[in-house]
Amino acid sequence: MLAAAQVLISGVALGCVYGLVALSFVLIYKATETVSFMQGELLMTGAFGALGLHLGAGWPLGAAALAAVAGVALLGAVFERAALRRAVGRPHLVAVLLTFGLGLMLRGAVASVPAAAQETYRLPVAIDVVQLGPLTLAAGQLLVIGATVLIAVVLALFFRTTRVGLALRALSEDARIAALMGVPVARMHTLAWALGAGLAALAGLLLAPITFIHLNMGLIALKAFPAAVLGGLTSLPGALAAGIFLGVAEALAGLALPEGVKDVVPYVLLMLGLLLFPRGFGAGAAGAGR
Amino acid sequence: MRRGGRWRAALPWPALLAGAVVVFGAEYALSQATLVATYALAGLGVVVVVGQGGQIALGQAALVGLGAYAEALLVAAGMSPVVSLPAAAATAAAGGALASLPARRLGGLYFGMSTLAFALIVEEALVRWESVTHGAAGFAVPALRFAGRAVDTPAAQAAVSIAALIGAMLLCARLFDSRLGRAWRAVREDEVAADACGIDPARAKLLAFVVGGALSGFAGALYAHWIGFISPEQFGLMFSFELLMLAFIGGAQHLSGAAWGALVIVAIPQAIAVLRDALPGEVARAAGLETVLFGVVIVVVVLLRPGGIAGRS
Repeated sequence: MLAAAQVLISGVALGCVYGLVALSFVLIYKATETVSFMQGELLMTGAFGALGLHLGAGWPLGAAALAAVAGVALLGAVFERAALRRAVGRPHLVAVLLTFGLGLMLRGAVASVPAAAQETYRLPVAIDVVQLGPLTLAAGQLLVIGATVLIAVVLALFFRTTRVGLALRALSEDARIAALMGVPVARMHTLAWALGAGLAALAGLLLAPITFIHLNMGLIALKAFPAAVLGGLTSLPGALAAGIFLGVAEALAGLALPEGVKDVVPYVLLMLGLLLFPRGFGAGAAGAGR
Repeated sequence: MRRGGRWRAALPWPALLAGAVVVFGAEYALSQATLVATYALAGLGVVVVVGQGGQIALGQAALVGLGAYAEALLVAAGMSPVVSLPAAAATAAAGGALASLPARRLGGLYFGMSTLAFALIVEEALVRWESVTHGAAGFAVPALRFAGRAVDTPAAQAAVSIAALIGAMLLCARLFDSRLGRAWRAVREDEVAADACGIDPARAKLLAFVVGGALSGFAGALYAHWIGFISPEQFGLMFSFELLMLAFIGGAQHLSGAAWGALVIVAIPQAIAVLRDALPGEVARAAGLETVLFGVVIVVVVLLRPGGIAGRS
């Protein structure tokens, strides 16, 4: 029972990271209707950026993390201005290939640093263990869950109360009418990519205490993708909830099913979810089928 | 007129091969030609599904892998390639049919996601079903044998794969001009309008995946013999995207796009190798150079030449 609770909490923690990356997908998709296949690479770049500033340049960890997130957000904005802008209104595959190509460039750039290509690293944060009654929990997992709650609250406030947040929501409802109402659509697209990229980098920093920092850590985006789709691709709370759901489902599958099955669980659930609720769980409740 | 254009489009290839033989030597040029032709055959499957059928296919490598594993296992069981090659193509075609089933309920991007999930499930199944597939370690595949003679020289391998590619291209040319080819393009341009004109979109998509799967699977079967070793990770997501990039670089809507794209995809690592020898600097030795170059090529092509090399834009 105790073991099950611990597995459950580690599942929730991993699910929070899935959910955050899924949030970054959805944020970009809602505003620009393009799918980003580089979130995993942005996440990896963010983690390595913080690591490089902290260990390499000797910055304090907090400043390094902040600079890494801001830097990756800036990178997202630059990518949008330089290339991704031209994918708006074109077939989905154009954006898929563009973002994948940009992701390859990021990955190649990080891999060119010899120290990054060969080893795995740990950020010296939240590496100890916390005793909570009879439960033994990793501090890193609690940090992730707490940070995710905080980010969700900040995002909810941002989208409900600020002018920019409302403008982004108006844009995702109907881009033309939003433009007629004075929303600067091009600038909002840049902002959405910056936010999405920054969020991915943040997820990378939060993932660092749970797993290690290495070149392939971006593969986690492949599991965040099912979460974004299961959440309906346009629902921010749906993406977060679906991410946590997948994290827990995966952890429980690891407990109950034979080894190796747990890695396909998100995809099997994605297939089932897509077939049963073609528009995501959120829309499935409103009216299943098409 | 069209026929004449088609033959003229084929003209650069013998010249290119002859030039490569002169510059790089026969053995190297022919082994690269084998690789280009096999990649082009696999890419032809993407051209059918993505370029003609207009579907988002993010898991084509899984179909290549199904073909490769089917061929390797059948040959290991002592079957003649006359039986095993069609059987491998049929296995991949069946896989394609399975992958296309969600298209009955899903459209566009959501369907693309389901092909991604399909590919990842297939890859994991190849890793876990150890009693049959030898798991993640993979296994060695013997050389292709036709009528008691092994196809193990670069010239013979190039001949077989180029013949297979030309045969597949002629077949596809016929198919694209047929009722089915028109149905694919109609579904690509506007699914609702196609439906209203009496075309069954679900059937058109199913057949696109069956044909595309058979082509990619056949390529996979040949690939297994040429490389001599297969493991599940070869047919992962990266390869799926490589095939997509191949089709887009060459021109996904054109038959010859697969060949041009394959040439570029095979040439990039070779060009890097040449560059490494030529430049003594630290930059050329960096491990990520190849990845960066792949990224740059795909981004530049998508931005500056959206129709691909073979496209007219």
